[in-house]
Amino acid sequence: MIDAHRPAVVEEIAKLGAFFRRNLLIAVSYRMAFIADWFNLVLQLVIFSLVGRLVDPTRIPEVGGRAISYVEFVTVGIALMSFVQIALSRVLSAIRQEQLIGTLDFLLTTPIAPTTLQIGLVVYDLFYVPIRTGIFLALASLFFDISLSPSGLLPALVIMLAFIPFVWGLGMISSAATLTFRRGTGVVGLITAAFTILSAAYIPLEALPGWARAFASVNPFTLALTSAREVLLGGAGWAPVGRAVSVFLPLAAVSVAIGVFSFRLAMRRERRLGTLGGY
Amino acid sequence: MTAALEVRALGRRFGELEVLKQVDLTVQAGEIHALLGPNGAGKTTLLRILAGLCDATQGEIFIQGARSGTIGYREWRKLFSMVPSGERTSYQRLSGYENLVFFGRLYGLSRVAAKRRSGECLEMVGLADAASQRVGLYSQGMQKRLAIARALLVDPPLLLIDEATQSLDPEGARLTRVLAKEAATRGAAVLWTTQRLDEIRGFADVVTILRRGEVRFRGTVAELSGTVITRTFLIQVGAVGEMAPGELLEGVADITVAGDGHYRLSLKEGASLGSALAALVEGGVEVVACREEISDVEEAFVRITGAS
Repeated sequence: MIDAHRPAVVEEIAKLGAFFRRNLLIAVSYRMAFIADWFNLVLQLVIFSLVGRLVDPTRIPEVGGRAISYVEFVTVGIALMSFVQIALSRVLSAIRQEQLIGTLDFLLTTPIAPTTLQIGLVVYDLFYVPIRTGIFLALASLFFDISLSPSGLLPALVIMLAFIPFVWGLGMISSAATLTFRRGTGVVGLITAAFTILSAAYIPLEALPGWARAFASVNPFTLALTSAREVLLGGAGWAPVGRAVSVFLPLAAVSVAIGVFSFRLAMRRERRLGTLGGY
Repeated sequence: MTAALEVRALGRRFGELEVLKQVDLTVQAGEIHALLGPNGAGKTTLLRILAGLCDATQGEIFIQGARSGTIGYREWRKLFSMVPSGERTSYQRLSGYENLVFFGRLYGLSRVAAKRRSGECLEMVGLADAASQRVGLYSQGMQKRLAIARALLVDPPLLLIDEATQSLDPEGARLTRVLAKEAATRGAAVLWTTQRLDEIRGFADVVTILRRGEVRFRGTVAELSGTVITRTFLIQVGAVGEMAPGELLEGVADITVAGDGHYRLSLKEGASLGSALAALVEGGVEVVACREEISDVEEAFVRITGAS
């Protein structure tokens, strides 16, 4: 009954399709959560646009030689950081969710490769999050007088695509921690908040204290944000893409490798202890 | 002939607690092997080890001759499917049908095959009418049936079934046994853990009884029954003669009133049921019916496991 002639890779990719459909159906079934997510995003923008009225425009750094408003500055920050937050939290909560609803055990008795499971749990978000970010930027430019450079959309997408695996790797490390310690959501939230504050997402680097600026200058999130701002607001075209990709790809390789390794280690530990599926 | 499942000297320790000790188990293709034991006997731990969810601390497992640890997890998991003991093992926000299609694809079925097979399996377990209903709205029994349908999506060489009939009504339990029997007829080896002793008679080919992680009995149901002689019966009496039944059975059995024309009869050592019934009949008692108060299987189980 099982198609034994299909190569293993093809079979595993087909399973990713099944995960995508499953996650889509589950996401659609939570209509209120979906609406609340969008409401929350728009609310953030409204709040920051009001805060923007209090901010001295001269304190906002120019992007590509163009003076930008605080709302423009922060819109890219909200878009990218909510993207990071979702990517991180979904990877993290996916495993926890399976543990809590009691399906993790059974999933692990089916013939799927560990990597398929890891990708499968978040495959829907890998598609949904960039689309959500794109729609958010489009709505923001329509309703909040934000002038996005149309020629920057494709380069911004490439920056995001290069950034996804890095964040995903971090997510896998977090999910390994969740598998081991059961409750890791709080710690991850704290780390994400620290990375957000220290990355010029909401506050320009120039306004940060010296030590925070030093941290922000080596924070990959800062590079993602400044590159995205340059292409979307400064009309820099493809120029920042090369630098961003050349930094993100090796970082992604390291974070994914550590993520895969730590996840497998966590699984092995759970099997050894006999506590897999417990919560 | 290579056994479908062979477990050799399997052991598992949780810290100081040894939950499985030197367990040997062999299940042949087409055989239904019942694994009995009181709570905490190690049945579920054994099944979790077989399914690769928990490591053994010692021993070896072979499924169709392939030794655990020598082939990848993915290949290993193609050799069995499982009905876990919990009810909530499916996605509550998805319909029963969508759950099966999803798991069917994880088992390697194409989308078309998974859809077709899901429909067939839902039909088999009597859930065709509830196929499009969210699993969250299913009763416990329906969720259990769905878990059984999921295990039947593919025809693996080994079926691991953990307390399948626990939350099922009698008809659901009967249907489940029929499905397991059919799977065995198709050549699958079925390892069936249960605490419902009444269901193994006429169903299981071989029985293993675990107690505190150790194998205490291995044999057929007939051999299990043969380890005890039933000594307690319930008799229904029509008319009673001049002498009370208790006086008629002096030295043969103790008899107590169970109510509504029924008496509980406990044979004394060395006495037979025939001699007790003969004494009653000769004394003018009309014996309408007689049956075991507890089954011989139950009596054997209690004796072997020391359960009360």
